[in-house]
Amino acid sequence: MSKAGMSMDYAGEDRERVAAMRKRQVLIVEDEFVNREILKAYLEPEYEVLCADTGGKAREMIRAGFDTLSLILLDLNLPDLHGMDILRWLREDVHFSKIPVIVMTSDKESEVESLTIGAVDFITKPYPMPKVIQARVRRIIELNETRDLIRETSRDHLTGLFNREYFFHYAEQYDHFHGEEPTDAVVMDVNHFRMINERYGKAFADEVLRRIGIAVKAFVKQNGGVACRREADRFLVYCPHRADYTALAEEVTAAAGGGMKGKIRIRLGVYSGVDKAVAMEQRFDRAKSAADTIRNSYNVTVASYDDALHEKEVYAERLLDEFQEAIDQKQFLVFFQPKFDIRPEKPALCGAEALVRWKHPELGMISPGVFIPLFESNGLVRELDHYVWREAAAQIKAWKQNPGKTVPVSINVSRVDMMDPDLPEILRGLIEDNGLAYGDLHLEITESAYTQDAKQIADTVNTLRDMGFVIEMDDFGSGYSSLNMVTTLPIDVLKLDMGFVRSAFSEGGDTRMIRVIVDIARSLNVPMIAEGVETKEQMLALKELGCDIVQGYYFSRPVPANEFEAFLKA
Amino acid sequence: MLTIDALRAYGADVDDGLRRCMNNEGFYLKLVEKAAADPSFEQLREAVEGGDLGRGFELAHALKGVTANLSLTPVETPVREITELLRSRTETDYGPYLDRIAEAKQKLTALL
Repeated sequence: MSKAGMSMDYAGEDRERVAAMRKRQVLIVEDEFVNREILKAYLEPEYEVLCADTGGKAREMIRAGFDTLSLILLDLNLPDLHGMDILRWLREDVHFSKIPVIVMTSDKESEVESLTIGAVDFITKPYPMPKVIQARVRRIIELNETRDLIRETSRDHLTGLFNREYFFHYAEQYDHFHGEEPTDAVVMDVNHFRMINERYGKAFADEVLRRIGIAVKAFVKQNGGVACRREADRFLVYCPHRADYTALAEEVTAAAGGGMKGKIRIRLGVYSGVDKAVAMEQRFDRAKSAADTIRNSYNVTVASYDDALHEKEVYAERLLDEFQEAIDQKQFLVFFQPKFDIRPEKPALCGAEALVRWKHPELGMISPGVFIPLFESNGLVRELDHYVWREAAAQIKAWKQNPGKTVPVSINVSRVDMMDPDLPEILRGLIEDNGLAYGDLHLEITESAYTQDAKQIADTVNTLRDMGFVIEMDDFGSGYSSLNMVTTLPIDVLKLDMGFVRSAFSEGGDTRMIRVIVDIARSLNVPMIAEGVETKEQMLALKELGCDIVQGYYFSRPVPANEFEAFLKA
Repeated sequence: MLTIDALRAYGADVDDGLRRCMNNEGFYLKLVEKAAADPSFEQLREAVEGGDLGRGFELAHALKGVTANLSLTPVETPVREITELLRSRTETDYGPYLDRIAEAKQKLTALL
């Protein structure tokens, strides 16, 4: 601990400063006057030399000055204690064990034994030439100081495990020395760690991490491998392959919880028998993907990265790779799903929602449920939205010419679009370039966007409304907005989350929530749209409940523009 | 008074011993005097004659280190021999070994 300094108190820092100014200290533990004097003569020009002629005195001096000692030269045959016992005693203490020890011996057998107990080197008797001893002492002090420095910079201070950078380095090194041996990449996360932090405070959360660190360290010590705390509550282990990680998950969970049984839960993801052609970080990304599949599961604590997950990721990767090409080649198709006003006796077409489909040349039709979340996660959705808007606007323009008639078309505006300061100008451009009226495009903004940065969203929505756009709040009821917020937001239409329709009309479902939301729409004096309506019964029930407009398979699935023309002409 | 020449004549590997003492003659001679006065020689005889071979080994072992470091070959050689016998607690007549050590040590003391 000495030179690199872990001392927390000011006294410790002072000692360090003093230590830096004076010569490094070397302790000679040797009972024979002649031997002691010879070593002293070698070392005194360069070091401050302390001497102890018994094991007892040596231990006293080490206890008092461990944080300034740079090296111990230890004779094995002392009058009171055997040098090996002193070595063992040193190794057992977290601070003392950091002081390098050179053993002095004239026995061949003791040489190996002392090295296995923890001596860094030995010097035989009769002593080699002075320059040899001086050089060895200097080199060992240097090496140890470098090691201290590396230890300081490579370790996570909270747990003592490697930090991220060094971990990946050591994991590579592990591979280097374990060649073809099957190896596993393991990721452990604490479920809802942020909540633990908030509920019990940082000190407690740190204690949880420290305990996990101890359990993880014990695991690699026993089983081999390397471990680190990657960040916050994520721990990585790279270790020899094993069939089952349940025991590790249980140990870590128990350790994390300390006394409080069952309150802290760990999820563990394993990429078993890693493919060593895959980059190291990616191996842990895979283990992490596995862990994430059980993020919300209470019963399962271990998940493996398997072929299915791999396929899914490869598929996702491919879609991302081919996104630009798909845009360029117009593989994305804009479909239109009609909306019907069900208030009159005979339902009447009153609008459409523009929906995107991906017609992939090799993979066929890809569901937006697959690619939209993917593109949302990395911002590509913005480009996709703009594409859909352009296509939709151009289509409205085309319909205006032939058949000379159109209905308002709703386009989806995602959260990232709402954060874009250029949004009003982009939309204005669409309207003007295509010669449309502002009423021709309705903007669907998902409710969850409003909960992010309500003030900014409200400002943007107001700007868009002032321009003349109709604003529909999409997925209403799913985003947990406060009712207070809803009443103050500038919106023109509420669009009921599809989930309410689905659950209301499934077995044992009830329609009370829909009734509540209809009431909200009424009190805001805006129409309510229900989507996902599949049957006549559902349509009639929604009409009965007070729903104004309906969209869904009952009337029509989303259709290509040319098919939609039939609705316009009807 | 102990001199380098006298030690050389005695049979010590003076050059080797001096090198170990960084060619400091005064320092070397001081240490040889100290070694010659080491009570361990007498204690070794007492221990071995008293049958305490374990203690005898410790003492012989220590003397071996010191005499080897100073390259006092005439005394180091018999000390090394008895150390090996004592290490394995060999049951033998240690008298002649102790005598040889005493004789060599006596000659060394005579140089002082």
